[in-house]
Amino acid sequence: MTGRTIVITSGKGGVGKTTATANIGTGLAMRGHRVVVVDTDIGLRNLDVIMGLENRIVYDLVNVIEGTCKLNQAMISDKHDYELFLIPAAQTRDKNSIEPEQLREMCAELEKEFDYVLIDCPAGIEQGFKNATAAAQEAIIVTTPEVSAIRDADRVIGLLESSGLHRPKLIINRIAADMVKRGDMMDQKDVESLLAVEVIGLVPADEHTVVAANRGIPVVHNAKSSAGGAFLRIAARVDGEDIPLMDMEPKTGLFSKFKGMVGMSGRAYSHA
Amino acid sequence: MLKTGVVQVTARGTDVAFVIDENAPFDVVARELRDYLPKQSSLWSKGDITINVGQRMLAREELAQVKSIIEANSGLKVTRFWFAPESLESGDLQVEAKPAASTAKTPAQPTAHNEIMLPGATPETTKETTDETSPGSISAVKSIIESLKARHNKNGARNRNITEALFIKSTFRSGESLHYHGDVVVLANVNPGAEIRADGDVVVLGSLKGWVHAGAAGDNKAVIIALELPSARFEIGKYLGVAPTSGKRKSNSSASGPMIAYVRSRSIHVAPFAGRFARYNKGVPYDG
Repeated sequence: MTGRTIVITSGKGGVGKTTATANIGTGLAMRGHRVVVVDTDIGLRNLDVIMGLENRIVYDLVNVIEGTCKLNQAMISDKHDYELFLIPAAQTRDKNSIEPEQLREMCAELEKEFDYVLIDCPAGIEQGFKNATAAAQEAIIVTTPEVSAIRDADRVIGLLESSGLHRPKLIINRIAADMVKRGDMMDQKDVESLLAVEVIGLVPADEHTVVAANRGIPVVHNAKSSAGGAFLRIAARVDGEDIPLMDMEPKTGLFSKFKGMVGMSGRAYSHA
Repeated sequence: MLKTGVVQVTARGTDVAFVIDENAPFDVVARELRDYLPKQSSLWSKGDITINVGQRMLAREELAQVKSIIEANSGLKVTRFWFAPESLESGDLQVEAKPAASTAKTPAQPTAHNEIMLPGATPETTKETTDETSPGSISAVKSIIESLKARHNKNGARNRNITEALFIKSTFRSGESLHYHGDVVVLANVNPGAEIRADGDVVVLGSLKGWVHAGAAGDNKAVIIALELPSARFEIGKYLGVAPTSGKRKSNSSASGPMIAYVRSRSIHVAPFAGRFARYNKGVPYDG
């Protein structure tokens, strides 16, 4: 079995790389795949927190690379009944603790065992970015509809293309439909025409995402939330399913208010 | 511009150019010239002229014949020949005895901008055009082209019509930069944060949002052409263009369609594109 290694990157920090990694990883696992997510943000690890696995960390990525533990010792099984594993980043080290080549070797090892290896890339375009992207065959760029995030995404796409990672896919995160409708926020077309890459998902701004992250349960577990649904669809598209992108409709008027209420009542998460 | 069937005479500044229809058979051209020149003799004073043969390939004897016809029938002295760039760049630089058969891929009239200027009265060139020995002097023609190219590299401003353009076929992104000694054509957008420095023109078949310097070697006649030109800062030659603020800018952005930026009276102007060598008057001045 040969898995696919996909790096999730953005350039700018705080646009939702880690959230996207956790959710796409979980989404793919929910579809029955064997998935491992690797946090390469050494020194600033977050993926474990978002997945609610912080307390289970014994060994980390740097331990694996330095050979102080075996690969499967560092893999933390997800709380849910899926074939989902996390390799956390080291918190007490820095990005220069590993080399791109070492991470590539590790991912090649993981690909033998897993369907998907998702790499959560740190912000920036320095050593951490080089490490994370060297190992991947595919890339997903996360951006928000803001000029600064798009500018950085553009730079990152250029860097990826020059290092041989062609045709990256784009996730536009935190779209506020009402702002788009008022013309206060860029819409999908604006972003698409600027970055000229294929959009693989549109994630609405949804407070469920924040709540879920705080609880350590990725929002995909709540399929009724708009962001959870969006990440499930993204996971399906990564998996090769052809699902058209949803139009972002602002929630106004009686009907959507009603829908909103239904959404509220259905907020219970599927804890395991 | 005076016009006959196959021969056109154009004046470019102090230069006079004979433009010969590239599709006409050579003997027709020769006859035209013989008929035409004496009739218009009052027009010619003594001076140097250039012959433009378009995309036609002429044998050296024929070049010499044209030269002697002109010199015999007017007081002019032929100092150079022009060729269409295609015939120089294509590599099949054969000197053919039957020019009509060797005509161009495009039947278009040779425009004055489409040609290459052979080096002026350099001894080598003079020899080439007057010497009537040995046909099939392909290598000699090639050596002219080589010297042309060398000359071009040193003098981008004067001979910029023969640059080999660089095509960029995908989006030119933030952080990418390029310096090219010729024209640059981007078949996509140039995004903010990208830098293109070209010694020749820059053509963007997309939206130009990045930073561009056309005529970077000092050619103030270079232009920037883009389907959309939202970029607020760019340079041509030694001039810096800064988009006008607020009020003036609106008049510019209301004009849709391709735009051209050019230097006019020591500042950069932007106007709707109407051809590379169209006559542009005052556009929207980009002087901040």
